[in-house]
Formats: sequence, structure tokens, C-alpha cells
Amino acid sequence: MARIGVFVCHCGENIARTVDCARVVEELKSHPGVVHSEDYKYMCSDPGQALVRKAIEENDLTGVVVCACSPHMHEKTFRGAAAKAGLNPFLCEMANIREHCSWIHEDRGEATDKAIDIGRTIIEKVKHNVPLETIRIPVTKRALVIGGGIAGIQAALDIADGGAEVVLVEKESSIGGHMSQLSETFPTLDCSQCILTPRMVEVLQHPRIKLHSYSELESLEGYIGNFKATIRKKARSVDEDLCNGCGDCQAACPSRKIPSEFDAGIGKRSAIYVPFPQAVPNIPVLDRVNCTRFKAKRKGIEKDVCGKCQEACLKGAIDYEQEDSFVTEDVGAVVVATGFQLYSIGRDQPAGLKGYGEYGYGDVPDVIDGMQFERLASASGPTGGEILRPSDGKPPKTVVFVQCVGSRDPEKGIPYCSKICCMYTAKHTMLYKHKVHDGKAIVFYMDIRAGGKGYDEFTRRAIEDDGAQYVRGRVSRIYRDGDVVKVWGFDTLSGEQVVVDADMVVLATAMRPQPGIAELAQKLSISYDEHGFINEAHPKLRPVETNTAGVFIAGACQAPRDIPESVAMASATAAKVLGLFSADELEREPTVALVNEQTCIGCFSCEQVCPYGAIEHVDVCDVEGHVCGVVARVNPGVCQGCGTCVAVCPSKSVELQGFTDEQIYAEINALGSW
Amino acid sequence: MKELRDLTRKLLADGDAGVVIGWEEGRRGARPAFITTPDDADKLIFDARCVHNLANYLNPRKPQVKALGKPAVVVKGCDAKAVAGLLREAQLTRDRVILIGVRCGGVVQTPEMPAELTEATVATRCYGCDVREPKLVDHLVGDARPEPPVTAALDRRIAELDALSPRERWQFWTSQLAKCTRCHACRQACPLCHCERCITDKTQPQWIESSSHLRGNFAWHLTRAQHLAGRCVGCGECERACPVGIPLSLINRKLQLVVKDLFDYTVTDDPEVPAPIGAYAVDDKQEFIE
Repeated sequence: MARIGVFVCHCGENIARTVDCARVVEELKSHPGVVHSEDYKYMCSDPGQALVRKAIEENDLTGVVVCACSPHMHEKTFRGAAAKAGLNPFLCEMANIREHCSWIHEDRGEATDKAIDIGRTIIEKVKHNVPLETIRIPVTKRALVIGGGIAGIQAALDIADGGAEVVLVEKESSIGGHMSQLSETFPTLDCSQCILTPRMVEVLQHPRIKLHSYSELESLEGYIGNFKATIRKKARSVDEDLCNGCGDCQAACPSRKIPSEFDAGIGKRSAIYVPFPQAVPNIPVLDRVNCTRFKAKRKGIEKDVCGKCQEACLKGAIDYEQEDSFVTEDVGAVVVATGFQLYSIGRDQPAGLKGYGEYGYGDVPDVIDGMQFERLASASGPTGGEILRPSDGKPPKTVVFVQCVGSRDPEKGIPYCSKICCMYTAKHTMLYKHKVHDGKAIVFYMDIRAGGKGYDEFTRRAIEDDGAQYVRGRVSRIYRDGDVVKVWGFDTLSGEQVVVDADMVVLATAMRPQPGIAELAQKLSISYDEHGFINEAHPKLRPVETNTAGVFIAGACQAPRDIPESVAMASATAAKVLGLFSADELEREPTVALVNEQTCIGCFSCEQVCPYGAIEHVDVCDVEGHVCGVVARVNPGVCQGCGTCVAVCPSKSVELQGFTDEQIYAEINALGSW
Repeated sequence: MKELRDLTRKLLADGDAGVVIGWEEGRRGARPAFITTPDDADKLIFDARCVHNLANYLNPRKPQVKALGKPAVVVKGCDAKAVAGLLREAQLTRDRVILIGVRCGGVVQTPEMPAELTEATVATRCYGCDVREPKLVDHLVGDARPEPPVTAALDRRIAELDALSPRERWQFWTSQLAKCTRCHACRQACPLCHCERCITDKTQPQWIESSSHLRGNFAWHLTRAQHLAGRCVGCGECERACPVGIPLSLINRKLQLVVKDLFDYTVTDDPEVPAPIGAYAVDDKQEFIE
């Protein structure tokens, strides 16, 4: 016989304002099976929880219904209270009379009636609840970090320093990411490489970090605590074990005019190359697209041509026949830190984006983007740190900086703010003015967004100390006129049109997720937003978790992020990962799917729709032990309790524990019965 | 015919098959036949009266058929689609059945009709048939047959129903489904209704009322239709089995059109092509979300 206790919360005024809690208590007191009913101003408070515990003990309750807020909010709280009083926590349920009732209704009478109905449905459900036991699964204390930019480096180091092993996968030949390309960093103007490269070396030398450079995640199987990652090590044509990084191959390579990706296209590199001298690992990669030998092969020339790098290599490390290879790594957690790419504003645009043809990027040589300016300003860049414009190599005397190119422009496909551009543009004006003292820096901006420690002071410094001229307004057109670059803009503060004869223009282009992020997200069973940024599990309370347990996110793969934020997120993921690894077994909520193997026909529709790969095949044997059929079984460690299999099962042979057909049916029936 | 009978004799004599399931002459037209000895092979026939979908006998939960040994089944193109469905849904493995394909020139509506096809007697499902020569077979017998007469009666009737107001359409289906006696012959006749325990037989809780009442009838037929969306091969066996004449083919055909529109999917006899419910495509229509 059910002995249910009902606890109605006022939530201060949140519920009590529109719901007559005393009447809810009174009505539900006489509901069949209810033996105790009371209300309290804040049921979630300590005295409130004490009421629940006391009632369970005194009345020997078999079920608890808390009429209060969403289960998202306090289900854990009250289940904890129930457990303390000796009741199985899964016999406690929330009836949501706040989000589903008091917050959305005005009429007190009707809202109270509805609150009573909601209470009745959950009382009926609880009568069908059964005690469930927490699931325990083993955990592999080893983390996979995808992406070796500053976020990935920080996450890897923090996790490894915490005592766990780390596998770091980087798709480029060196770790470092975008930060390694930067000249200086805001708001302190310290040299980017000077603070980054020691961290990179630390990664390489750390006894608990295994680095796979020039590699990508091929597939991920398994579940929290027990993932199996397959990593594709792309053919770099260089034997990593033999190479000692002497650089002789690079010096011998005759193809030297290939635009350097590291220098954002304004510098040149050879076909076999390390992207920059401080690369980690310092092992070159052969760019087969641009290599003379491979080009000849593709043209159908049988004879081996060139081969200069192989001749130059004293170690015999160059291997033209090398192919992609695969390694598998067992890991218990995954950190995604794949970062961003800059919005390519040229003519070729992906679906949904229109580009900025009117800004002449790609056509006018002296119109460059922010990353190209970084390389111009960098001491390790192609100009050795001198600001020289690309067209004729002269120092530009007037430089126009345009902010929000791409960002905050829903018309062109990107409505969000890229966050870092206000700051890096201010930094650019300072770097420029520090190098070209008589130069003029003009910034077209929409708003200056400088929230952050020392950020507003930094932009003020650019304007007040270094004399950057800020014009509030957008630029309509940029084109080449003889020796100068004409910039047409509008000053919205003076209401006048502005035409500038600039020597160079720097466009602060938007941040976009890395290409291939959708495929990666699908491999990891995590979701991404309309722009391709990875979704966090909760925007405020679970910012570095994803909707797949054991997969975490750090840095600009989640949203535009600057360096301090990326590092903070990375450390946060490390805390999450180390927390996960702190126990030998993981505890999981038992609200997972369960197959009725008696009625399952083994059609495996569930397997096809399961987003987590939780369905396993199990042989069914007859009395003599002969296999007579195959049915589905849910791996409780993998199942996330989404219920898709329940919906798709034609014979209704799968049920979600805690949300069984009987429970749902009882809830529905309760609506019409009283 | 000779080709089919010779093959049957050989399969049975060599012990490759325990039973050959085909058609024979019955008192009221063609009927399914279970040939277990080579001597009976001459009983087999194939003409336009062979309307039955014999894939139904491959249902793993038909022990009386299983007891006869490895089956060889004569399949028309539409039947082969049902076999593909069973393979796709892991109810059958390809090595446990021999498929004898017959080239088909269309069938009549019921097996007792004369074998001559006219616009009035040809089965509605033969309209737009794309599998007159089945591909999913081990043996293919018979000569190519001429195109059947064209009848678009089913699609015309669907267009008529679509043109009705929701109230009128509701009245139409109410009048049809009120006739249902819940004998579940539609389910038994369907080669793809292969559950051990049908949802309508589930009693804890009972989602679908089992008595013959309009409410339960609607729940049953809606569920049946939903379960067959993207799976129904359109063989029309359910409608033929219905003792009270509910036009189930209208529902099945309409669902085929909806699935085609939403997922660009047509049921095929290739078991490797996944059914739309288990397949995800980036360009799946999502208008229903908005």
C-alpha cells in the first residue's frame, strides 16, 4: 500500500503569489495513498529538507512528491534528503508547479487547480516508482585532448600535472595554435611566443603527455571513463623517430615560394618545412601538394624527380612512401580544444555567408586581415617586425583599421560579436604607432567592447597615449586608387561622410569555428549551434561540459574567446577531468533504458537511432543452450537516458527506468480521473 | 512454369531446400503452396492470380514453417521488398533463405479473379511498379511479361481525400474505422508486422483499447500506420485480408508519398539501404520543428 508524502513549496513568493499553497495541501491530503501533506516557505532550505526527512521517518513513507520547481533545479536536493532518511532516492519526485504553473499563469484560482492536477499526476506516478540503484562503472585515468593551441596545451599540462596521463592530438605539424602566430598580446603587450613556447616545450618534455602531432581523431567509441579513440597519424613523409630536427632538408628544398600558412600567406616557406623555428615537435612535414616530386608523380611522370631533401638528410628520415597510420588510445575523458579560424572575407564563401567583396580583400594587396598584421608586427615574421606594406614594401604612413568585419552583421550571416577584435585592434594601433612614430592610425568601430581586467584602460591608452584616431561608423567601400587605398566610411557622431587615403587597411575579421567541426562533433556525439560552435551543457552552470558525459570543451571551439578565457576554460576542464578521475569507479544515475528481452525481436531499430552507441547484441539461448535468437541490451554505462530507443521500439520492449510506460500512463490517467 | 518446377524439383532433390513456398491451384483461385517433395513440384503455378506476399512465411515467429527446413520462396518484386525489409530488420539472414524471383507483369486484385489483367481487375499497387524483375534473388525464372494496364485509382482517391476539409476527411475515416472489428487480420497478413508481442496486445499499461470501439480502432490504425511508415512495401495484403473492407491501402500509399516527400525515400529491395527512421541526413526536412 502506497504511503505518499506531499510537500508544497511556496518558493518565497514565486509560487505562493499565484498558487494557493494551503488549498493544494488540503486537496492532495485526501488523494488516495497520501498520508502526509504540508507546505513550507522554502522547502529547499535546510529546515524545509528537515521536514521531508522527519515526515519520511515518522510516517514510514513509500514515496515523496515535492510540489516545487523544475526537477532540473532541486530534484537532486530532495532525493538527497530522502536518501538521508533511508528512502531510496528514486522514490522521490518533483511536481513542477513553478515553471509549469505559477510563473506562467495569472488567475489564482485556475493556477491553483492546475497545481493540484500536476501534484496528482506525480503522486500517481510515484505509486509506480521502484527503487533504483546507482550504476557504477570503471574509469580509465587517461585523457584525450584534441587541439594543441593554448587551450589544449593548458588543459594537457594541468591534467598531467594533476597526475593523470594525457594524449594530445594536434592536426598541424606543431602545437601552438593561433597564439604562436601572434606578435604581442593584450592587455599587457607581452610577447606571445615568449610566454607560449616554454609551455609548448613543457608539453613535449612532460613524462605523462603523449603528443600526436600532424594527427586527427578518426573515431571515438565507448563512453565516459571508457573511451577508445582511434587517431589518424597523417603521413608527414618524415620518420619521427629518426629525425633530429637539424633543418638540412628544409635548406635543401628547391621549392621555396609557397605561401606560409604560419605567416598568414605573407611570408614564404619551402615544401618540406617546420612552420616556425620554435615548433614542437621540431620535426618537418612534407607538403605533398606543393612538393616537386609529388607534383611530377601526379602529372604521370614515372621517373623520380628532385629528392633533394632525402639526399640532404643524414639520418635517412625522409620517407616518400609513408602512408597514414592509425593508433588507438584508451582514455576516460576527452577535452575538445579545436579553437577557431578567421572568417575568410574573400570571394569564396561557405553556404550562408556572403563575404565582403566591397572591401577588396584578396584583390587589393594592401588590404590585409588581423592575423597578417600580427605577422608583419612580429619579430619572427617575414619583415622581421618592421611594418611594411605588402604591395611595395614601404612603411605605411596612414593605416585604417576596420572593426566588426563579419561580426555583428546578421545580413552577412554572422550575428555574434567576435569579442577579441576591439582589443586586438587597439593593440594593433599601438604596435603600429610604436614602430612608425609619425604614422596615423584610424579605427572604424561600431562600439568599443572592452570588458575585462585592464581592457578598457588598454583601449584608452591606445587613444590617449598613442593617439589612435577612433571614428564611430562603418566602412562602405575599400578600393585601390593609384598608390593609395581609398576607404569610404561614415562618421555617425559628426554625421559626415569620411574618405581616407590610406596606405594600408587592416580588417578585424570575425572568429568562426574550425572547418570540420561538425564532423568532429558527430564523432563525439556532441551538439553544436547554428554557427558551428560546440554547445556547452548549460550556459551558466556547466560551461565546460557537453551533453555527452566525459567530453569537455575549452577555448574558442565553444564561442569566441580570448587567451585568458581560453586558459581559464582549459584549467576548468582539467579540474573536471581530474575530478572524474579521482574515484576508481564512476557513479551514474540509473535512469537509463532497459530492454525487455522477453519481447524484444532484435530488429535493432534502437541501435540505429541511439546517439550514444549504447545498444549491444545479446544471444538468446534455449533450454539446451543453443543460440536461438539475438536481442538488444542497453549498456547502462553508455546510455544517457534520452529515450529515443523507447520511442522507436515497435514492440514497446524498451523502457526508461524512472519514466516507464506504467508511470507515464498513470500520470496521464491521473489528469482525467479526479 | 517448367523452369520453376524443374528448379523446385532440383532444390528439393539435392536437399538445398526443405520446402519451396509458391502458389498452386486452389478451389478459389491461386493459393500459397508448400512443396516438400520433388514429386509435388508440378503443382506449382505462377500467373497474375498469384497475389499473395509469400515473404510473410519468412517471419521467424512462424514455427510451423520453420519446422519444414530451409525455405525457398518464390518472390515477385514487391515480395522481394518485404524480404529486404526482414533482412534490414535482422529478422532473417540471407543464407537462411533461397529466393526464387519471378518476372511479374502485374497481378489482379484477388486470387479468385480471372488471370487476364484489365484496367478494372489489375491491383492498384502495380501502378508505377519499379521491381517487375526482382533483384534480390538467388534464381530468376520466367520470361519478361508485358506491362500491366495502367490504373492510378489509388493516387486519384488520395488526391480526392486530400482535397477534403479536415472535418470531411475525419468523417470519412470515422465511417471506415467504425467498421473495424479488431480481428487484426491486417496485422497477421502483413509480412513486416513481425513483433513477438504487438503493442496492441500489451496490457501493462494498455495503450490501445482492444475492444471494437472507434476510440481504440483509431489508436490501433494510427499506430499500425506509424509503425509501417517508411517500411510498408505496399503489397496490399492487409487490405485484402480485411473482412470488413477498410481501404488500408489508402493509408499505406499516402504514407509512402509522405515519406518520399520528407526523406526522399522509397522502399527498396536492397537490404543495405537503411530505413529512414534509422538514417540521418543533414538535409532532412525539419519544417515540422518550426
